[in-house]
Parts: sequence; C-alpha cells; structure tokens
Amino acid sequence: MASEQHGLRIVGAAAPGFPPARGSYAGAAYATTSPGAAKATWLEVRPDGSVVAYAGKVEYGQGIRTGFAVEVADELRVSLGAVEVVLGDTARTPWDMGTFGSQSTARTGLQLRRAAATARQALLELAADRLDLPASDLICRDGAVTSRSDAARAISYRDLLADKQIERDLDENAPLTPASEFTVMGKHAQRVDAVARVTGRTQYTQDVRVDGMLFAAVLRPPARAARLRSVDTSLAERMPGVAQVARDGDLVAVLARTDEQADAACALLRAEWDGADGGPSHIELPEYLVRTGRDPFVTQEEGSLDDGFRAAAHVLESAYFIPYVSNEPMEPRAAIAEWKGDQLTVWAGSQRPFGIRAEMAQELGIDEANIRVITPDVGGGFGSKSTYPVAAEAARLARVAGAPVRVAYSRADELVHAPFRPAALIRVKSGFNADGTIVAWQFDAYHAGDRPFIGRRGSETPYAVPHVKVTTYTSESPLRTGSYRSLGGAVNHFAREVHLDEIAQAAGLDPVELRLRNLTHPRFRRVLERAAEAHCWSAAARRRGAGVAIGVDVGSYCALCVDVTRQGAEVRVERVTAALDCGLVVNPDGVVNQVEGSIVMGLGTALFEAIEFRGGRVLNSGFARYRVPRTSDAPAIATLLVGDDDVPSTGAGEPAIVPIAAAISNAVFDLTGQRHRELPISRYLGAAPRGA
Amino acid sequence: MDSLNINGQPYDVPDPSRNLLSFIRFDAGLTGTKYGCGEGLCGACTVLVDGQPVHSCTLTAGAVSGGSITTIEGLARDGELHPVQQAFVDENAMQCGYCIPGFVITSAALLQRDSHPDEAQIREALAQNMCRCGTYQRIVRAVECAAAAMEARHGE
Repeated sequence: MASEQHGLRIVGAAAPGFPPARGSYAGAAYATTSPGAAKATWLEVRPDGSVVAYAGKVEYGQGIRTGFAVEVADELRVSLGAVEVVLGDTARTPWDMGTFGSQSTARTGLQLRRAAATARQALLELAADRLDLPASDLICRDGAVTSRSDAARAISYRDLLADKQIERDLDENAPLTPASEFTVMGKHAQRVDAVARVTGRTQYTQDVRVDGMLFAAVLRPPARAARLRSVDTSLAERMPGVAQVARDGDLVAVLARTDEQADAACALLRAEWDGADGGPSHIELPEYLVRTGRDPFVTQEEGSLDDGFRAAAHVLESAYFIPYVSNEPMEPRAAIAEWKGDQLTVWAGSQRPFGIRAEMAQELGIDEANIRVITPDVGGGFGSKSTYPVAAEAARLARVAGAPVRVAYSRADELVHAPFRPAALIRVKSGFNADGTIVAWQFDAYHAGDRPFIGRRGSETPYAVPHVKVTTYTSESPLRTGSYRSLGGAVNHFAREVHLDEIAQAAGLDPVELRLRNLTHPRFRRVLERAAEAHCWSAAARRRGAGVAIGVDVGSYCALCVDVTRQGAEVRVERVTAALDCGLVVNPDGVVNQVEGSIVMGLGTALFEAIEFRGGRVLNSGFARYRVPRTSDAPAIATLLVGDDDVPSTGAGEPAIVPIAAAISNAVFDLTGQRHRELPISRYLGAAPRGA
Repeated sequence: MDSLNINGQPYDVPDPSRNLLSFIRFDAGLTGTKYGCGEGLCGACTVLVDGQPVHSCTLTAGAVSGGSITTIEGLARDGELHPVQQAFVDENAMQCGYCIPGFVITSAALLQRDSHPDEAQIREALAQNMCRCGTYQRIVRAVECAAAAMEARHGE
C-alpha cells in the first residue's frame, strides 16, 4: 500500500534472513508466521525528491527509526531530514519476524542500505541518459546527480523523477558506500523523532482513540492456574456508563464509555475460580527448580571433564540463584480493535506486528489477509512485548460488542500478568591451576519455563578452557515466563562471571588479570583491556569496591568495570566504564544510549528487583513493592565504542546488560568481603564489614 | 459547574469526581500526559497546576477546579520549544520517550523555582519520575544544559 505517485520504487524479497537458522532462538521462538507476499516495497524516492524507507520493525526506544534514516541518507546522499521511515504496519511494510535479538541494524538496516544503493545506481543511470554523460562521470551528492568533470552539469533527484513511475528489483550486490565515505553514518545524529517526544506528539498505543470506542475492564484471574468457574454480572451491568458485560468463552469484560466506569463496574463482578492455589513460593523456588529440571541440553562440550578435574590443582563449586524479574516498560500493554464488516484493524504496541496478526487470525478463525496491525511507537518493551495477549482480547471483545474496544493493562496488570524473565538456579564447578589457568568448567543451569532457548542464551563459556561441559535444563515454572533483554543471557553471565571472581580470589589474582589469562579471543581481550584502562582499574581496585565482568551477546563483546560504595543500608553504584565492540557503528550516540540503558536496567536486577509470589499469586502488584532504578540510583557511565568499521554491525541493545549484575556483585565483594551469589543483593546485604 | 483552564483553553468539568489524568487524556484529548502507574509513583502523569508539578493520576478534576493547568502540549510558546524541551532534544535524552513529558514538566517546574540547581538537587527533584529505558544520566545533563541556556537568555 505504498503511494501511487511513487517516483522510483525498490522492491525486494520480503524477508531477508528468513527462515532463521535452525537451532537459533529466533527460529525456536517465533517462526510461527512466514512472509506471505513474494515481494515488498523497501524504499521509494518520491517525485518531490523525498525518500521513504519501509521496515516491519517497530520503534520501542532503541532508535531504529533514526538508525535506518541515517543509513538510507548516507547511501542516497541526501540529508537526514529528507528520509521518512515507515515502521511496523502489516498493510504498509515488508513482513518481519519481530523486533528482538538486536537484529534490526544487522539485518534490516543492511537490507535498507542495499535498497538505497540500488536506488542510487538507478538514479545514476537515469541521469546519464538525461545529461548524456557516461555514468562513470557521475556521482550522487546532496540529492542530485552531478558530473565529476563539470560540476555545473547536474540534475536533482526531483527533476529526474518528476512524473516517473519506475520500479527496480533490489540488487543484493549493489555497491555499498565504504565507511571512509560516510557523511552521516558514524557521526552524532539527533534522533529524528526527538521533537515529537518532548512535545507530547508521539502517539503510543495508549493514546489511540477511535470514534465510538468502548473502554474494557477485563476480569483477570487471581493466580496463573485459576480457571473461571462462574461469574455474576448483575451488579456490574447496572453501573453507570456500562454498555455491556461482554463474554467470549473465558474472556469476560465490562465495556463502558469511560475507563473509570469500566474499572468501577469490573470491581463488582462476582467471580469464582477453580484451581487458584498450589505451587511453590519464591522462597522455595531454588530447590524447586533443581527438583523439576528436565530435558538436559548440552550447549557446549569439549574435552573430558573427568580428565580436566583430575588434572586441576584446585576445584571450586558454587551455586547461584537469580529470581524472576519483570520488564515493566513505562507504557503498559494496550490494544484498540475496530471491525468494519469482516475487516479488522488493531493498534497494538507489540514487538511482533506480523506475529500477533497470525496469532489473532488463528484465535479468531479468520484469514490473516483480513487483519491489519498498526504499531504506533512503543513505550518500552525490552523483549517482553513479544507477548501481547491484549490484542486478541480487544479483537474478541470488539466482535462481541459490535463497537471498537480498547483493552489496556494497569500497572498492576503489567506486574502480575505480563511474562517474567525465568528464574534460574545455576551450579558451577571449575578446576584451575595455581597460576589461574582454568582447565575444567562444568556449568549446569536450571531455568524456569517452557522456552528452552531463553536459558540457553549466553550459557557457553567464552574462556579458552580445554575441558568443558555446559548443560541447560528446563524446570517447571510457577509463573508465566517470556522474553527479557538478552533473554537468559544476563542470568547465565551472572553465574559465570561471579564464579570467575571466585577463582581469582582463590588463586590470589587480580580479577582482570585472571580473565586475560584465560581469554584468547582478540575482540574480547580488547574490550576488557580498554575498559580496565579507561576505568583506571588498578587504582580503583586498590581503593576497594571495584568489580569487573565481561560478556558476549548478539555477536557483540562488552566489558564493564564498576565502582560501588556502601551508603547506610544500601549499595550505591557510583561509576561504570563500558567498552563495547559491536562492529560498524551506524549511530554512535544511539549505541551509547543503549549501553547506558542496559546498565541501568541490569543494575535494578542486581540490587533491587525480585518477583515474590505464593500459590501462583504475584505479591508485588505495584511500583511500591517492585523497586526499579530511579534518578538517584543511576551511576555515572562512560562508554567506549571500540569496534572496527570494516566489521559488520552486530547488536547494541543487549550486550551491556549481560555483565552488569556480576560486575556489581564482584564490586560488593571487593568492598565488603561478602560474596553475593543470589540476587537481588539488597535483600542479602549483611552488616559485617570487610574482614570481620 | 466546575471548570478548568488547560493550556489557556477553558474546559467544563461535568463530573468533579473524574480522575484528572483521565480527564486530560480522554475528555480533553491531550494525550501527551501519560498513564504509568496510577499511584503517583512514576511521574509520567505530571502536569503543572498553577505552576506547581502534581501527579494528575492521584487527583480528581474537581480537586483543582478553577485551576490553570499546563500540560506538555502547552509548554512550547509561539512555536518555540521551552529551553528544557530543547535541551532534551539536544542531549538525545530519551529512548522510548513515554516518560519524557513527565520529566520535561517536572524539570521546567524545578528551573522555575531554582534557576541554579546543582546535580544533587536535580536528581532529587527528578526522583519521583521513572524512566525504565534508563536515560537518567542524559536527563540530568539536559536539565543542567537547560539551566545554562535559560541563564544565558536572561543575560541578553
């Protein structure tokens, strides 16, 4: 559904990189939909010279609208302001599997660069014809094609494309602009959506209003396992403003003219539930995870553990526990559904507009072609909004009501009903020699939930150890689990990187030195060396309260050094130095922003965050009982981008979260002498000073 | 009947028990002010009532009847961004942006009552606002820049 007067249009395969690699988490998780249309429009140069890029990704804060605009602007030699980016609309954009796993720049951005490079080649050919000059004499510059030999001979894209309707196939081999010629990429770019954000004009799903829209208040179960036995709706139906109490199978909701009327009436629904109790509490969880672990899956195996442990001078065993945590994006999930005949339009801030379209088609028993999903800007997601049940709820209720319906989570809904990062119990056994060389590494991770790919992420050790076996188990989960930034990567890294510090302690080595002694990967060594140098590691470690950890995620390498202090009953993270290698950097400030955000988010999981529950009921139903980092908790963060321009871009939104909890735990040990193998640290912070 | 003035426009308030945030968002249609928690704990719903920052989600419209309210839509004047807005843009102090209207309003109120806050005072003033994307460092820097810009402007 691109524009009629399109000028130059570049069409190409709808889904580069699909199907995902076998065994990849994306393949295991979300390959539930596949591209229907053979080809899709990726880019247009309009007759007025403006450029429109299309991508099925969504903008949820990571800055891809800006990143894509930067890439297209550089390839087409136009200003950033000349590029419009259309995202996440199943009727307008190429099919996409979903915005997760830090694939947007690596895959989709590359596809858009190729589309723009194809367009640039086409414009050069058109200009050669019009100017009667050889294409080899022409270059694109500032939205025009100009002769190299005679700068007076030039023609703008606008003049080239007036009244034209040209379609070209995306050329996979179109020459991409080399890094040395970038004028926009790699430079500081202001977000293209910044002014809309500071003036309140950015529209999120929570802000969408449709004529005649009814507000829904959905009857939610008190516990995960609860099933509705009966409901008395008579009181609710008599409340002011109530249009109806809609019922569609197990889904019951009050539909009213205002949000408050719906909520007030919903509180008067008299429901009885079956099976609402049972299951372990958060206190019994660690033991429960081990007891219910099944389906061992070996993610890494080298040499022989028996040989390794026999040869080792020292053997160390520890167990680590990481509780459930919640994403808690600032925008609670919402969806608005409107039927016109058999055509359904749903506004939903999901990370998978095409995925939820397929899910809705199945749930509603209609054809995908009759559903349009529009994704306004998303107010945070961090992986969690891959799960988006409110979209189908709104569609079902709107069908029953015969009117548009809005379903929106409250904050309590978001904390109680949204999926959590799986809790995990991880056992590590290492064998090492007196010089700190690790010779054996056994890692057994019990992650809760029914999605094994979450717990496998980041479980492999990056250290050069001859005898290794890493096994992940899938354990029963009393709570609903789902995606989180880096999936289980940050969980596995916490255990591994705290254990590395325990080895350093046992071997009497500096934690940075111990890591370097066991790392051969040059990109890994470089991020660690650069972070330690910039942090003045030796001096920080002498002062006490310094911690280090490294990590790899979505193809990018990261090292963090942190300084912590004790302030009364609290640990405060004062300073973080981050070094990240994510290859070619398209938008440096965008990457730095992601690194800072990852660190702050991970700081919350290290110090404060844990879901508490009993009998399948979540007990922290508001921010008062689920503390997340605030301005006063935020450390000073210095970020170094150390990747090479000739290395393809890899993910930037997740790598910095994987080492942060371990770095903080290691720093607290350095400060207090207390080793924290369970999170969150604030819950286990003892009073004993170091050495006591 | 109760009434409110929002960004210079008069509004009737037929139901004084109406939640102020819902009134602003759904009745007045000014959706720049956000729902974040409904408990006054996250600051996304912050507006100015007679110049004072309040959490609109915890108030009724009747409680501020007759008051003059400024929302994020009313902060820019004559098409020119407020210095705080401009500083947030310049510093890329945002990611998803959902919390940003609340931060901008709170920051503007801070600089209205104290034109030279130090970093600790900025952090304290913003402690009621939550940014889950974790852009705090940028936000504090933006407020510092806005203070400097406002001082430079007054000096002209």
